[in-house]
Amino acid sequence: MSSPSLCAATCSTSLRLPPPILRFRRPGALASVPAARSAPAVSDDLVLRIAEQLEDSVAASSPLLDPLRSASALSLLSTRWPTRRSNEAFRFTDISYLRSLPISLPSQAPALAAPSSPYPSYIHFSDGVLTSTSGVHVSALADLPPGPARDRAAAVLAASAEFADKDLFYDFNAIGAKDVAVVHVPEGVSMADDPVHIMFSYSGNGDGSMVMSNPRVLVLAEKGAEVAIVEEHFEVGQEDGGCYWANPVMEIILEEDAKVVHSYVQRQSFEAAHTKWTVIQQSKSSKYEFVEVSIGARLNRHNLHIQQLGPETDTQLSAFHFLSQDKQIHDLHSKLILDHPRGLSNQLHKCIASSTGNAIFDGNIKVNRYAQQTDAGQETRCLLLSPKALINVKPNLQIIADDVKCTHGAAISGEHDPNALYFFQARGIDVKTAADALNFAFGAHVINKIPFKPIEKNALAQFKELLASSRQE
Amino acid sequence: MAPPFAAAAAAAAVASSSSYALFSASADRPLLRHQMPPSSISVRPRRRTTAASAAAESTGRALLEARDLFACVKESGEEILTGLNLTIREGEVHALMGPNGSGKSTLMKVLAGHPEYEVTAGTVIFKGENLIDMEPEERSLAGIFMSFQAPVEIPGVNNYDFLLMALNARREKKGLPALGPLQIFPIVEEKVRALDMNADILNRAVNEGFSGGERKRNEILQLSVLGADLALLDEIDSGLDVDAIEDVAKVVNGMLAPHNSVMMITHYQRLLDLIKPSYVHIMEKGKIVKTGDRSLAYYVDESGYKDIATV
Repeated sequence: MSSPSLCAATCSTSLRLPPPILRFRRPGALASVPAARSAPAVSDDLVLRIAEQLEDSVAASSPLLDPLRSASALSLLSTRWPTRRSNEAFRFTDISYLRSLPISLPSQAPALAAPSSPYPSYIHFSDGVLTSTSGVHVSALADLPPGPARDRAAAVLAASAEFADKDLFYDFNAIGAKDVAVVHVPEGVSMADDPVHIMFSYSGNGDGSMVMSNPRVLVLAEKGAEVAIVEEHFEVGQEDGGCYWANPVMEIILEEDAKVVHSYVQRQSFEAAHTKWTVIQQSKSSKYEFVEVSIGARLNRHNLHIQQLGPETDTQLSAFHFLSQDKQIHDLHSKLILDHPRGLSNQLHKCIASSTGNAIFDGNIKVNRYAQQTDAGQETRCLLLSPKALINVKPNLQIIADDVKCTHGAAISGEHDPNALYFFQARGIDVKTAADALNFAFGAHVINKIPFKPIEKNALAQFKELLASSRQE
Repeated sequence: MAPPFAAAAAAAAVASSSSYALFSASADRPLLRHQMPPSSISVRPRRRTTAASAAAESTGRALLEARDLFACVKESGEEILTGLNLTIREGEVHALMGPNGSGKSTLMKVLAGHPEYEVTAGTVIFKGENLIDMEPEERSLAGIFMSFQAPVEIPGVNNYDFLLMALNARREKKGLPALGPLQIFPIVEEKVRALDMNADILNRAVNEGFSGGERKRNEILQLSVLGADLALLDEIDSGLDVDAIEDVAKVVNGMLAPHNSVMMITHYQRLLDLIKPSYVHIMEKGKIVKTGDRSLAYYVDESGYKDIATV
C-alpha cells in the first residue's frame, strides 16, 4: 500500500511504536522541517492534535482497517474543525463543547465487568474498547478466522474508505477505532426475535479531561437474513455524570431481501458528548427499521445516512429526542438517498425541548432520477416546553424523478392541542396532569416502537423520570 | 323586571336549593335567583303531560337549572345561546331536539365548560353551585359527563391508562387512595363486555384509528366506568348500527337511578324508544321553544320542526 508519508521521520515518539501509516504533527512543531510545508494549507491545528493523539493510542490494529485508516488520515490533513459559519452541516449546531476540555484517551482496557444483558447475543464496548462478545454470529474483527466472512468484512471496511459524505467525526473514528465488532448473519438465517445487544458503556476519568472513544460496529445481513440489533449508549460508574466524548460508527449492510430491525438508545451523562454515524446500505427488496431514542448527553450529533442500492427497498425511521437540560444540544442529520425504483420510506422525527435546550433536525431525502414510483414520507413534530428552548428544523426533499409520491410535514408547537387537553378535563383530569400525560405520550409514541420489552420499558422509565425532573425546575 | 309570579317561583327555587345550602357557594348570592325564566318560554312540562312526569316534577330535586343563558363563540363572538332556560331534576331523562345549528351541541358544551364558548349572561346552577365559575375538570368531578359528538384522538395515550387516570382523579377528589391498573381491570372488563366491545380497544391509544362506532361506544364506556349524576349525550346514536344502539341504550338505562339524570341530543326516534325521555325539548335559534312529552318527538318525526312552536 502506498501510504502518504508526511513527517514520520522526524517523530521521535513514534519509534517506540510499529510503523504507522501516517503521522500527524502540528505544523508549528515542525516549522523547521521542509516536509511540513507539504501539508495542505487548510489543515487545522486542533484536528491534527486529536488525530495525532488517536494515532498514538492505536498501536496495533487489524491490517484489515488500513485502507480505511489511511484514507481518513489523509482527509483529516485537509479538514478544518467545523464551525457554524464555515460549515453548512453545522450551521445550527454549536459543537464548541468539544473544544472546551482537553481530550484524553482511555489508557487501558477498564477492569469493569460487562453489564448484564437480557439477551444471549451481545457485544460490550467499555469506553470504546471492545471487551467482550457473545453469540454465534458475533465476533471481533481481529478474531474472525480467515474465510468468506472475514473477506466480506474486509471488503466492506475498505469500501468505507470511499464514503463520500463523511465528516471529521467519521474520520476520527476511522483512525481511532482499535477493532471492529462484526455481526455477520449468513444467508437465510433469521434471528429477528433474538437481538444482538450492543452495549456501549462509558465512564469519564474524573481528571477534568474528556475521554474520547471510537467504537465501531459492522453489521452484515446477507441475502434473506433477518437481524435485530439493540444499541445502547449509557454511563457506568460515575455518580454525578462522567465527562467523555463518544464517537461511535455503526455500519449496516443489507443484502437482497434482508431485514434489519435497529433500536438505538442514547442515555449518556449530561456532561458527555456523543457524535455518531449510522451508515446503512440497502440492496434490493431489503427492509430497514430504525427507532432512535436520545435523551442523554450535553451535545448529541447523529448522522444517519442511508443509501439505496437496489429497487423496492423499505426504510422506516423513527426518532425521538428529549432535551431536558440547560444548554443541551441534540442534532439529527439524516440523509436518505434513493436511486432505484419503487422504494418505500417513512420517517418520523419528534423532539421535546425544555429549559434552554437546542434541538436541530436536518432531514434530507433525495429521490434521484431513476427512483421512479418512490413513496417517501417525512414528518417532524417538535414541542417547545420553555420560552428559551430553541428548535431548528430543516426537512428537505430533493426530487428529480417525476413519478413519485412524496409527503412531508413539520409542526412546531409550544402547547398541546387544546381539544386534547379539554378531553382530559372533561373527564375530570386537571390541565397540568393532562399536559404531563400528553408530553409523555408524545415521546412514548416513538419509544413504543422499540420491539424489545426490557429495552422499551427502561427507556420509558428514564424518559418519565427526566420529564418529571425537568418540570420541577 | 321579574314576571308577576316570580316571587312564588323564587321561593320554590330557594326551597329546592336550601338542602345544598351547607356546601353551596351560591347560597350567599341571592342575586342569582332573581333571574326567572321569561313567562313566554316554559321549560316545565305543561300540566297536561302524563301523570308520571308530573310526579317526577313534584318530587325530584333540581339538579341543573339554567336561567336566561346567553353564550357565544369566544373567537368570533357569534351568539349561539340566546336566553335559554332549562331545569333538569334528579332521575329525569330529557331529550333535546331541533334543527341543525339551533344550539343543541353548544348547550351541552357550555354546560361541560368547553373553552371554545363563553357565557355572556345568565346563570347555571348545578347541585346548588354556580357551574359557570367551575373549571371543566371540576364540573366533571361534580358529576357532569358529556359524551363528545366527535371524540378526540389522543395518540400515545393508552385508552386503559386514560380510564385509570380519570377514575383516580375522581377517587382523589373523594379522598380515596388511587387504584392500580390491575385493580380496575375487573370493573372495566365487565363494562367492556356489556358494550359488546373488543377488549383490544383498551390497549389502543384513545380513539386513535377507532371507527365511528368504536368512538361512540368508547364514550359510553367512559361514562359507565366513571359514572355521572348528569350525563349529556351528544348524538350517541349517530354512526351506530341498530345492535350497537341497543347495547348503548342498555348501558345508559342500567345507569339510570333515582338520582341520575340524562340529557340527550338525537335526531332519531329509535334512541328515544330505547331510552324513554320524560321530556322532549325543541330548540330553535339558541332557545328552547317548546317542551313536551314523548309525543312531541313523534310529531317531529312526522312533521319536522316547521311551526312547531305554535303547535
